[in-house]
Amino acid sequence: MKKTLLTLVGGLALVASAQQVTVTSNTRLLKGVEGPAYYPVLNSTGSQLLFASGESYGLKMYDFADNVVSRISDEMGAGIDASFSANGDVYYVTQKMGDNRLIYRTGMRYDNATAKSEVVLEAQHGYVRPELGTRANGFKGAKKSFAPAKGLGTAVCVQGSVLYITKNGVTKEYTPVPSYAGYLWASLSPDGKKVAFFAAGKGIVVTDLNGKVLSMLGKYEMPCWYNNDYIVAQNAKDDGHQFTSSQIMLIKADGTFKTNLTSETSMSMQPTAAAGKIVYTTIDGLLYQMTININE
Amino acid sequence: MKKTILISVMLLFVAALGFNLANASTDQPHVYINPGHGGHSSDDRNVPIYPYAQGDTMGFWESNSNMYKCFALREILWKKGYKVTVSRETNTEDDDLALSTIVRLCNNSGADVFYSIHSNATGQGEGARVNFPMGFFRGYTDQPENPQCKVLTEKLAPFIIGNECTVWSSPNYQVWGDWNFQPSWGTQGYGVLRGNKTNAMLDEGSFHDYYPETYRLINKDYCWVEGFNFSRGADSFFGISGKLTTGVVMGNVRDDRRPREGILVMYGADKRQPVNGALVKLIDGEGTVVQTYTTDNNFNGIFVFKYVNPGTYNVEISNPEYETKTVQIEVKADDATYMNVDMKRVRNTPPAVVSYSPVWKEGDAPVKCNEPLVFQFNWDMDVDATEAALTITPKVDGTVKWEDTNYRMIFTPTDAYDVNTEYTVTLKKSAKHGGGVEMPEDFTFKFKTADRNHIYPLAVFPADGDQVHFKAGAFMEFRTAHLLNAYNLSSYFHVYDKAGNQLDFSKRAIKNNKAGDAYGYCKLPLLKALVPGEEYRFVVDKTLCDTIGLQLEAGKEYKFTAVDAGEAKDGTVVADFEAVADYQLIERDCANPSTAKLTAVTDKLFGSKAIQVAYTFANYDPSGVVEFRMTKPSAEKFNVGDQLGAHVWGDMGYNTLCAVFSDENGAEVLEPLGAVNFHGWKYITKKLSALEAGKAYQFVGYRLRKGSDTEAPFGLSGTMKFDNVLKASTSGINDMNQVSHVTVGPNPASDYIVAAADALIEKVELFNTKGQLVAANGANFVNVADMASGMYVLKVYVSGQVSTHKVMVMH
Repeated sequence: MKKTLLTLVGGLALVASAQQVTVTSNTRLLKGVEGPAYYPVLNSTGSQLLFASGESYGLKMYDFADNVVSRISDEMGAGIDASFSANGDVYYVTQKMGDNRLIYRTGMRYDNATAKSEVVLEAQHGYVRPELGTRANGFKGAKKSFAPAKGLGTAVCVQGSVLYITKNGVTKEYTPVPSYAGYLWASLSPDGKKVAFFAAGKGIVVTDLNGKVLSMLGKYEMPCWYNNDYIVAQNAKDDGHQFTSSQIMLIKADGTFKTNLTSETSMSMQPTAAAGKIVYTTIDGLLYQMTININE
Repeated sequence: MKKTILISVMLLFVAALGFNLANASTDQPHVYINPGHGGHSSDDRNVPIYPYAQGDTMGFWESNSNMYKCFALREILWKKGYKVTVSRETNTEDDDLALSTIVRLCNNSGADVFYSIHSNATGQGEGARVNFPMGFFRGYTDQPENPQCKVLTEKLAPFIIGNECTVWSSPNYQVWGDWNFQPSWGTQGYGVLRGNKTNAMLDEGSFHDYYPETYRLINKDYCWVEGFNFSRGADSFFGISGKLTTGVVMGNVRDDRRPREGILVMYGADKRQPVNGALVKLIDGEGTVVQTYTTDNNFNGIFVFKYVNPGTYNVEISNPEYETKTVQIEVKADDATYMNVDMKRVRNTPPAVVSYSPVWKEGDAPVKCNEPLVFQFNWDMDVDATEAALTITPKVDGTVKWEDTNYRMIFTPTDAYDVNTEYTVTLKKSAKHGGGVEMPEDFTFKFKTADRNHIYPLAVFPADGDQVHFKAGAFMEFRTAHLLNAYNLSSYFHVYDKAGNQLDFSKRAIKNNKAGDAYGYCKLPLLKALVPGEEYRFVVDKTLCDTIGLQLEAGKEYKFTAVDAGEAKDGTVVADFEAVADYQLIERDCANPSTAKLTAVTDKLFGSKAIQVAYTFANYDPSGVVEFRMTKPSAEKFNVGDQLGAHVWGDMGYNTLCAVFSDENGAEVLEPLGAVNFHGWKYITKKLSALEAGKAYQFVGYRLRKGSDTEAPFGLSGTMKFDNVLKASTSGINDMNQVSHVTVGPNPASDYIVAAADALIEKVELFNTKGQLVAANGANFVNVADMASGMYVLKVYVSGQVSTHKVMVMH
């Protein structure tokens, strides 16, 4: 009986891995236009792209249709962890150091229509983290937080080893898997029904909106939803000091299939995906846009 | 009313106080600590040191010591009121987080400062080990991505370099931008600093492959003090003081004399033995023991007293093998007091020689002439006093080495003792042990030496003045009567060009003598081709030694010249050695069954082939002969006085080579060409003298006869090769009978060519390439101002000999 079960499981795995994924295009973005670019983030329609113009400084936005790059902020770290809101506004965090050498972080909103930034969460010591909602984005802060008047809709956020899921105006805390060091990179699937996040030491976890674990996808980083069924992620290796390899992976959200989209030696990292488009950067800050075809 | 006002004021005060306290508690500095590496896996760093085997997690792993430092730092920062987050709590693969993950966790935590704690390694051989701390921030050293990261690093530096219980090989804490330090990584830098939005730095606190430090880093308390020092760096960065009301004491207990052994590179006090198992007591002013510590068994001598109230203390250190010692110290709040204690051993008997070598008495076999003198003592000795007490008669120069932590003294003669000589060795009673007590009486012994104290060359190629065919693979060979010590043997031989550049040997093709060989040798092929016409030196070091360690009496140097043995010559080819079928092999007194063999080979000078002859004589008896004859000799006739030109590839077999001639009646004459005392191709010319006057002869082949005028056991078997034999022009340009030490210049020349020699030059003659004499002078120069540009041959006549040189005339 055990043997029969084993054969059956093996057969299922074979069917799953028989899916064909083809990279249909992979082209450089902003070649000759921009210097090194990091931390790319696509909006939900894949028409605009946020990125950091330098690794530690500034935030820029590229419009695919107009082929125009706009400068949103020159502040330190503004490009790290920036996000698009449902209406296209950009939420980002700036920081300043006080006389006491403590770091004070400010929640900023960039109005895509007027091309102006405004403070939505005053500077505070401690963390300030974006909260991604289906209706709008907000900020979760160590002391004060910010939520837009119209509410977040369904929203996810992580802080420490807690996953926060907001539904119908009610936020609940979940700890789907134990992780001493904490959770990172939480996002909602495009249909708003699933959550993917990274648990340090455990890898990528997919849950439903009640924090129930649906699948664990392995020790890949920076998960983002390609569509409702697939996730793209970074698979980087290091020697404890520097990266020794890095590639972009495509992983089925139910954990039954995964494949690499770039080679280990490509040093490709920090993927973002939306509307059938994948954008990633390389260790030396070269942006690429990729399209793929999945035959199931 | 007053009461109401008072209450109101008090309430206001409390409210204000409450507000401040709230601010103070919420605005506490937040430090994120990343103990580098983790999981005892491939990206971790393990240094196997006794008694821990490679991979033993109880031994040194960087992930362990980084974690000890991290936990100490967290513990102390908590006491100082900081908020602290660490990236790993255990040391498993699961906690060995990826670099991007660590950075993002740090950014998300809202920390103000990020410390990545590491130790360093040279990654090189043990001879290159060093020990100093380094700190890194993101960016270029003079252009940090975030200037505060450089400030953070510089604020930490004095506390890390201030550790007096290690021994630094360099007195400075090095501060680097990671892009400068690892330029080959471009701006990739250290992964935990990449995209880190806090004030971030990575510290390499010391070098964990510097073995004394490796042992210290196994000690958790030693690591604890580094964590303490990190906390002081954080205080300095944030401008915080007075948060810790206690201090720290750390010390290192070492033997005051005995050297530490088994480690190649040690600095300063690390050269002395650490004391394991020393009991250290911290005693306050009232005589109360407030803390105790016993140094561990990991050869580091470290003791630490944590959280010590400020004040004056006595520290008492004891161990049954040592005299107890007490040191007074002062402890300050939030400060480290370092104390290194040198312990004096208890030595309660006088020193004595418990054994020695060589032990010899009349009638015993003599002692070899380089035998070291070994003294084993009952105590570790005072090195200076004991060396001064040693006398050897007759006097011998030598060096003294100490082993076994100064329990054993070894005298080795610089060169060798005299042969057949009786020596008297005395260690005067002024020799002392480490406690300063002298020996009760002199110690004396005698020995007599053997009848040989050096090795001597038996044969060498190239010898002074020899010529060497220039092609890559040219052999140099040095032979001695006794087998040479094969260990690293090729390192004693060198070839230099005129500019002093050393030429490489083809290491994989070097051949050394082996056990059972009849003589010692080292045969070394050159890796690259020589330059024809250039002079070289073959040098043999004096320290070349045989299997019992006897050396050359003096270093050797042989000058030789590179030539092209295959260059075109004037004359008629009488044998081209292209096809085996043209030759017939004849053997006498050779190995039975025969091993002699003729083979056509591509290592040739002319045409497409040369003929190789492999031979093995039956014994060293000179009756052994290997001969090969042309089946169809050339019609070209030779007469006495004609010049034979032979292209021969020698094997340095020291057998005698003869050219065989036959007259019209078949009567044979042997014309000796000499001993085969060379390697590789050589053009041999011989003015024929054995032929009968008035008769014409044909060249019919070669004869190789076992032995020559040397009695050395060479050439029982070997391989030779042969190419074109010429009836050479007597005024030909390739006469090889050159005289040593003749130089000609300038070359090229436009007006005069001048010859110089170490003997009287009788005349010079200049020939064109057709062998025609174009100029001559009864002096050492010839005028070429009116000669056409081109190649010429200058013959220089010196003391009845002639030296031939190619020269170029160029206008």
